[in-house]
Amino acid sequence: MSTLKEILTRRPVAATIRLTVPAGGARPAPPVGPALGQYRLNLMAFCKDFNARTQKYKPDTPMAVVITAFKDNTFEFTVRSPSVTWYLKKAAGLEKGSGRPGHVTASSLTLKHVYEIAKVKQQDPYCQYMPLESICKSIIGTANSMGIKVQKEFD
Amino acid sequence: MSLVINSLRSHFFKHLLCTSTAAAAASTATALIFGHRTRGLVGQSRFSDSVFFFSERYKLLSQLASKTATFSTSRSSSSLETLPTDSYTSPYLSVTIRCQKNVADMLSEALLCFGANSTSIDEHDDSEVGDEICISSIFSVSQDVKESISLAVDSIGLKEIPSYDVVMHDHTDWIKESQESFHPVEVIEGIWIVPEWRKPPDLQATNIILNPGLAFGTGDHPTTKLCLMLLYDVIKGGEVFLDYGTGSGILAIAAIKFGAAFSAGLDIDPQAITAAQHNAALNNIQPEKLFLSLVPSTGSATFTHEIVSKPTDRQHLNDKGVFTETEKFHVVIANILLNPLLDLADQIVSHAKPGATVGLSGIISEQVPRIIQRYSPFLEDIKVSKMDDWACLAGFKKINLG
Repeated sequence: MSTLKEILTRRPVAATIRLTVPAGGARPAPPVGPALGQYRLNLMAFCKDFNARTQKYKPDTPMAVVITAFKDNTFEFTVRSPSVTWYLKKAAGLEKGSGRPGHVTASSLTLKHVYEIAKVKQQDPYCQYMPLESICKSIIGTANSMGIKVQKEFD
Repeated sequence: MSLVINSLRSHFFKHLLCTSTAAAAASTATALIFGHRTRGLVGQSRFSDSVFFFSERYKLLSQLASKTATFSTSRSSSSLETLPTDSYTSPYLSVTIRCQKNVADMLSEALLCFGANSTSIDEHDDSEVGDEICISSIFSVSQDVKESISLAVDSIGLKEIPSYDVVMHDHTDWIKESQESFHPVEVIEGIWIVPEWRKPPDLQATNIILNPGLAFGTGDHPTTKLCLMLLYDVIKGGEVFLDYGTGSGILAIAAIKFGAAFSAGLDIDPQAITAAQHNAALNNIQPEKLFLSLVPSTGSATFTHEIVSKPTDRQHLNDKGVFTETEKFHVVIANILLNPLLDLADQIVSHAKPGATVGLSGIISEQVPRIIQRYSPFLEDIKVSKMDDWACLAGFKKINLG
């Protein structure tokens, strides 16, 4: 739902760049350097901006960034928190999910973990208007597909 | 920057004695990058699985066996830690994949999950007919491109692997391209920041010549501008200035140019210190006026101080090599990030004299209340200046701190 003014003044887009950068750890080096360098974007500005905006996350969590580079060498970017699977693996202390989800349980988590993950996810620009309960349900669904059991409390 | 690259290609692995000439700065730069960085790499907590890290580096070693002399020197040295390449200088693979427009987004997300460092999609004009679009993706040299692509394609349900090309690029390519985006900028009336490879537009004005290298601080970021404006207001001549988080050294050098008697610059990144030393030489600043040092990032006292071995600098460090000048500075500016500002509040303020000006930046507007809350025990009369959603706080250190 863009306003008419926004549509008229929209800058021409040169490219869409996707990256994974650790929170607070953007440096003008690979992976950021080559990816942005080829579109002549200001690396320092992106790194500083990204680091400042990801201060609220734990350092070195891999954030997914989508950068829209415009033809006049300016850019905008949105930052998303890491995928739910990453959070689940971290919370459960796993390297990979279970090989046979549904049959073999790799690990188990409590509802408290799910609630904490849902709170972080709600800060994402895409999930802000979703009720916390539905975010939790989708996290439980992902956990089931990875072979992670969700219990009410640890026994 | 070319000096650094050239000296990378020659044998250099020796302990260094800093002198203030640019050539020596370049050779110290390389030794710093490799000598200190390897130590730093092993100690850093972000490489949690060090075994994996070493095996990845050995793969890199074997692939780049014939490349440059730097590799052979590093392999010949005995310790396990001296690994040649550093992510700043390693080559990378650029892969161009052609695929259908409707799957491009999904494929680029999947590529990120399966090992690509980044993906980018160029926008095509609508006038271009055809269903194909190009995704260009960057992988590190040690990645198996074919396997990553096939896993990614599999995960989104495409039947066949699309055609792709792989090109190996050198690190100088992207460095050169990013340097093209720097232009001279007039921060305050009469003060210009000029990149090393461009001519100053106004020779009469105060020109600060910079080559940021791989460090922060090119001069056109709003926080740098805010800090420079603060410096310009505060420095009347003869002050002693501390730049905490100096990056390219721009604030420390600017302070000297505005008339400060002495500047000190601290940073946790060795790249920053070398860039700052290089920039100081570019601006003809004598070593007595400018002192640069590395500080440990976790605040522990145990760090190697082979970086700073100028004889004049020893006076500022105690026998453990830790910067311990407390209550010596008339002006202290820290242009870093929210979390370091919160964690290091005590240290930053301890360096300032009572009544000194303390400036804090690198924060976005919404983070200002937290900084005010953290620093109000130490500072009074805190003023906030903003530019473009970035903020800079300035206050005076309280005279009687209990």
